[in-house]
Amino acid sequence: MLLYENKKGKLLTFLKIGLNPFKKFVATGEIKENIELAESRFDLIESIKKLIENEKNIILPIIGGVGTGKTHLFWTLENKLHYHNTVYISLENVYRKFYYNIYSEYIEEIGPEVLRSITNELCNNWGKFEKKFGFFHIADIEKVKKIAFERLSSQNFEDIIALNDIINAITTHQLDPWKKVEAERWLLGELMDSRELSHINLQYDLRKSSYAYTVLKIIIENSKLKSVLFIDDFEKLISLMKPDKESEDIFEPNWLYGEITSSADKLSAEKILDKILNLQTIEGLNIIITLKSVDALEEIKTLVKERDINLLSTFKEPLFLSNFKEGDIYDFYKKNIEEFLITINYLDFLKEDPNTYYPLNEKILKNIFHKTNGNPREIIKYLIQIFNDIIYSQENLEDIISRYENLTVFQQ
Amino acid sequence: MSQEDNIVLYDTSKEIKINGNFNGSIISVEREMNSIILSDNIQISDQIRISEGLMIGFEDMYNEKVAFSRKSEFIWNNLEECTLEYVVLIPKELMDQYDESQFSDSFPFTINMLHTAGLYFDDSEYNFKIDHLDFFKGEIIKNPVSLIFNGLTVADRVAIDQRGDPVFYDCIIVGRDQDDNLKVSYDPFLNVKIDDKVVKYIIIIGIEELKL
Repeated sequence: MLLYENKKGKLLTFLKIGLNPFKKFVATGEIKENIELAESRFDLIESIKKLIENEKNIILPIIGGVGTGKTHLFWTLENKLHYHNTVYISLENVYRKFYYNIYSEYIEEIGPEVLRSITNELCNNWGKFEKKFGFFHIADIEKVKKIAFERLSSQNFEDIIALNDIINAITTHQLDPWKKVEAERWLLGELMDSRELSHINLQYDLRKSSYAYTVLKIIIENSKLKSVLFIDDFEKLISLMKPDKESEDIFEPNWLYGEITSSADKLSAEKILDKILNLQTIEGLNIIITLKSVDALEEIKTLVKERDINLLSTFKEPLFLSNFKEGDIYDFYKKNIEEFLITINYLDFLKEDPNTYYPLNEKILKNIFHKTNGNPREIIKYLIQIFNDIIYSQENLEDIISRYENLTVFQQ
Repeated sequence: MSQEDNIVLYDTSKEIKINGNFNGSIISVEREMNSIILSDNIQISDQIRISEGLMIGFEDMYNEKVAFSRKSEFIWNNLEECTLEYVVLIPKELMDQYDESQFSDSFPFTINMLHTAGLYFDDSEYNFKIDHLDFFKGEIIKNPVSLIFNGLTVADRVAIDQRGDPVFYDCIIVGRDQDDNLKVSYDPFLNVKIDDKVVKYIIIIGIEELKL
């Protein structure tokens, strides 16, 4: 029978293996974050939820400085917005083939099962379930296509050929057992050669912009869940539009091509902005954009105003993501340690004293908070540093702790 | 009275006749040829009219009984000449169950017959028998219709088990109870022993008849 166990010593041994509870200080759209936002941000989450649930086709700006947790906010929203397909978009990833990449991200979020159910529902609405002799589901594909085209062509799709091909793909996916697999691959956004395309009687795959936009619109508008695009670091568009004055080009394009009014980057940034604004024509799609400052938002608004002043009404008042309050750092630390203990299967450590900050203490956390002004990324950086010291240095834990209890160490 | 309540629209033995235009999934049994008419409509008044119905049964051809399915308009101008035994409208809930349980067309190992064919026929009166059950042992065949004892079944598919007995899957069953009242039910599967001599015929409807 185990009479006594040195739980703190055991935790320290785990840490000494080289396991740091604080690993990454930058959240990404790819790796899921399980830890919820700090308590002081609950109101912000509620405000966003309320707007997203009650409004249609809005652009909601979220403003927060570097390292305040804008990307982390996405993961919290994804967990909180249960009845929404929330899709993370990094402008760097969708810079080229914009609609195709947005569609790919969207399909990755909903998965093939939901895609099948949407195409099934669409075909039902287009008369797939018409029964011959009252019993036999022998769908007349041509008739279903005709009904689909009549219904969708009234919605002002710009590219009628794309619309026709997408109806063709959806009906083939549901009603033609011999070509179903290829049609599904096409709808999932797989790239296809001309032989494969001609087999399913389609002209292009979804790399063609008008095709990707049309299918995105049809799928989003017919999804049972509402959709939210979370576009991170939106001011990247502005930086692309402005030439970098500090950089020196060895090659000056003017020598060869004469006076160039717009750079290639500027042109493509403008195109992306147009395409993002065009997404507003998709019914029920809300867009959240994150920016670092109000100035950046104003610049974006000016650009939008130049294009169509009416679109400004879709911009909601910005919400602000501020730094941690002092209470948040304790809460944040405890949640991370708890998550770490779960991963090493040692949650028992917290049984005796659930409020412990071991191996750190309240004073150190307070020092970190004051040094970083509550900036979450900076806080994590310091925590990584301290835990690295605990893991790798030859010093006693007590010496490390007393060193960090002294505020001067943070000023070095 | 809603259409769902009137599942029996016409029954000569119970003298039921409900006038009106009915749409949905309708099964009519014709007594002269022991045939079944499947349709999505029927008009009952002083006359009975089914437009675009599919009649399924056996007919005499070259001194043989040959299975047939025929798309046609059926009109009986006066009820005394009407050869229908009964007409039932299948309730929507049953049809929903039937629709949901249908095998996907993309399932690769199901046999679709091109032409309507008799899988089994046993007519002791004429001492005539067709039995292809052994040939199809272990196979799954789409769109069977069967006249069994005092009822019938329209199923999505029939599999022939290792004993050579048919197992119908996803079946709408119409039959008479002990008081001779018509009843309609749905069953996920129906196991029939061919040696019990209850099956009068099993016809596989050809896909050609359904597609064109």
